[in-house]
Amino acid sequence: MYQPLLTSRYLTTRMIPLLAVAAVALCVALVIVVISVMTGFLNMVRSSGQTLMGDVVITYPIRGIPQYDTLIAAIEEHPEIVAATPVVDTWGLLRMPYPEGDAKESEQVQIWGIEPESFSAVTGFSDTLQWDNVPDNVSADVLQDVFDHRSEEVADTVVPLLDEQHRMALLRATYHEELEDDAMVRHLVSIASDRELAQRIGWFLRHGEEHSTVLGAGAIAAMQHLEPRLHDSEQLRRDGLTLTRNGRAAIVPGRHVSKANVRTSTGEYRVAAGGYWWLPRFEGTLTTLPIDSRGGMLEPESVVLPFANEFASGVYLIDQTRVMVPLDVVQRMTHLDEAELVDEDDLTTVVGTSPARATMVLVRGQDGIPATDLRDIVRAAYRSFEAQCDAENLPDSEQPPRLGRDPGLGILTWEEQNASFIGPVEKERELMRTLFSIVYLVCGALIVAIFWAIVYEKTRDIGILRSVGASRSGIVYIFLLYGLFVGVSGAIAGVCLGWLITTNMPTIHDAMSAPPLWLGVSLVSASGLLVIWRGLHWRGCKLLPLLLGILGAVVLGALGIGELMLRQSGGVVLWDPAVYYFTDIPSDVDWASAWITAAAAAVCSVIAAAIPAARAADIDPVGALRYE
Amino acid sequence: MSSPILEARDVYKTYQLGRVDVPVLKGCSMHVNHSEFLAILGSSGSGKSTLMHVLGGLDRTDSGRGDVLHKGSPITGLPERQLNRYRARTIGFVFQFYHLLPELTVLENAMLPGLVPGGIGRNNAKRRARSLLEQFGLSHRLDHRPRELSGGERQRTAIARALVNGPEVLLADEPTGNLDEHTGAEILDLLTEAHRNGLTIVMVTHDRKIADRADRAIRLVDGVLANESP
Ligand SMILES: Nc1ncnc2c1ncn2[C@@H]1O[C@H](COP(=O)(O)OP(=O)(O)OP(=O)(O)O)[C@@H](O)[C@H]1O
Ligand SMILES: [Mg+2]
Repeated sequence: MYQPLLTSRYLTTRMIPLLAVAAVALCVALVIVVISVMTGFLNMVRSSGQTLMGDVVITYPIRGIPQYDTLIAAIEEHPEIVAATPVVDTWGLLRMPYPEGDAKESEQVQIWGIEPESFSAVTGFSDTLQWDNVPDNVSADVLQDVFDHRSEEVADTVVPLLDEQHRMALLRATYHEELEDDAMVRHLVSIASDRELAQRIGWFLRHGEEHSTVLGAGAIAAMQHLEPRLHDSEQLRRDGLTLTRNGRAAIVPGRHVSKANVRTSTGEYRVAAGGYWWLPRFEGTLTTLPIDSRGGMLEPESVVLPFANEFASGVYLIDQTRVMVPLDVVQRMTHLDEAELVDEDDLTTVVGTSPARATMVLVRGQDGIPATDLRDIVRAAYRSFEAQCDAENLPDSEQPPRLGRDPGLGILTWEEQNASFIGPVEKERELMRTLFSIVYLVCGALIVAIFWAIVYEKTRDIGILRSVGASRSGIVYIFLLYGLFVGVSGAIAGVCLGWLITTNMPTIHDAMSAPPLWLGVSLVSASGLLVIWRGLHWRGCKLLPLLLGILGAVVLGALGIGELMLRQSGGVVLWDPAVYYFTDIPSDVDWASAWITAAAAAVCSVIAAAIPAARAADIDPVGALRYE
Repeated sequence: MSSPILEARDVYKTYQLGRVDVPVLKGCSMHVNHSEFLAILGSSGSGKSTLMHVLGGLDRTDSGRGDVLHKGSPITGLPERQLNRYRARTIGFVFQFYHLLPELTVLENAMLPGLVPGGIGRNNAKRRARSLLEQFGLSHRLDHRPRELSGGERQRTAIARALVNGPEVLLADEPTGNLDEHTGAEILDLLTEAHRNGLTIVMVTHDRKIADRADRAIRLVDGVLANESP
């Protein structure tokens, strides 16, 4: 076997094969990165479906489905179903706490009334809460709020717990001048009102030290009771999960509803004004237009609710518009709560009741059951629910909409519900695949050209080999081995490169949006060094190295200066969550596609090598040997 | 007298230059005896190299016009596989321009024919190539590339390569044509030595003096044999 020897020598003594390997590697890496990102994107879309809505959605907008508890019971009877939950959704305005002053901003929001417990069982809501703890830079403000907005409460509950000693210590710690005389302090204490002492506690907590020695354990405990979020590490989360704050119904808006939540260039979130506008400190006013049973509009309904937490589903459109509110609150606002029906002519006569309604029921199935199967199960459950309502002889006003007869009623899988969105993403991926098959073709043509040049260069060698008895197929084998090696090493290098780029996607993206200084500086200095080095050695230098040196210096310098200019102008944000729907860039390699791509690249380069190899076999040995 | 080891019988060889036929060998008949050192003389373009290629199975004669026989059996009609084997085992080629592979070392170049199918195999080839190269005074050059060698050293490497499979006939096409007189003489000594050990050699040369070293010389004129001198 002379072929491995020759193949390895041809590979190792030339630069051309390196070029071919690099071409294959770049193509493979490119395809892997693009496909991985697109696949990651699709997977995100799919999994966000479950996170946001469960598997199957029953919708009946505006008027809502009555007797939804019966419906949910009927659905949950099926063992394939994990849970179902009612939702009332509507559009409205949320008056935000910012800016300072009376002219507050309002955001247009999609209001979802939910039952937090069952909603969490159906969706991934509990995993999406943004805040686990009060951020460090906010806790002082949160404490301040207690004394600003609830000073009477402090005066009533905490101040009585302070005995004489504590009051004196507090006064000493907060008085504007040094107090020596005990009698003086005692006198000051006796004339201080509870309100004043409450204010002094507030000031002391922010500026003083050794809180428990000055105030005593009892007062500290009472204060913790006033603002448990500061002391109980679970409280903030619990507030979010139950949609309450201090026992009041509360709002959990998406992360991007508040303009105060700013995405930094490193991809993290920051609350504007040093944390001042941390939403769970404030209250908002929710306003919506209810619609009556005939589809007419009624007077707007408004309600003031505190913010409990925020959620981040990762889907920008939703995080930007959706707010979660307790179901009963939204039912009241939209007039979908239980109400008495009165006679139209005589408003004092009660003729019946209108049951509470839900505009959506979200259903979660067992893992592994296809969504379409779950949808059929839910359809069957809906029909038995209809039959049940018929059997109970309910009046017309309490009857649910009929499946198949009422076009407003929909029972769809999440993907069907969002087909208009998922469709384009899938198309985009296919488009990418097609575009990249062209890249493959270019790469293949490049390999053919490179191999052609190699064969041409080796014509005489082929004549020699034939003269010592090598067969035509033996010659073909040399170049096929060559192609195989180039393909395999290129593919492996490409997979590594693709993996590196894909998994470092967020880093690369961040580097683009905030180009690091060291990169630009080192590029420019490398260019400078190259110029100096060339300048020192230019005498007697051949033209090619001189040209390469100048070119290298120019390219490095241009890259460096470009980078620095980009840095000056604040970088480019390639992945703007507002445009790309998701807030994060997928960074997992789609290994199945990666290996298929790599294998295809290896096979392609062998095929590409076969063309010049066939030419090599056809070379006439006598012609090849005739001249030097 | 035993049958000749190689024989050409009324061989025709025509090249196509575009649509024009260029006849090179026009009914050439000759033979090479066992253990003979035969010199082929002739002016440039008379078809000497072409005859060598036809004899060595590297080129085919015009179909149906003449035969090349090896020990009495024709090789002209052999299938490709057997022709490859014939070139590997029976013939060793030496060319005017050495024709070494630039990427291989001296040793690897010399071993090469041992590695092709029908060759003597890697280990045997290595051993034999080494001993031949040592014999030719190249033991200090085994790991060098051909471009680092002088013309004479290259030609000695080429001769070692031609001999590595232990061929029956060495076909040398102007082996000294590219060398100065002194180096040429060295190469000639080498060939004479090999001939003395029983190798059959066919050598093309322009030089009457070199031809005198051979057992017999023939002259090609315009594609046919002119006269044979003892
Ligand atoms: N492939 C070819 N196509 C066309 N003509 C060819 C081809 N090969 C050889 N010839 C012609 O055949 C003739 C004989 O060539 P050949 O190389 O055999 O001559 P030669 O006797 O070896 O000459 P030299 O002493 O110069 O080596 C020449 O005129 C040459 O032009
Ligand atoms: Mg010639």
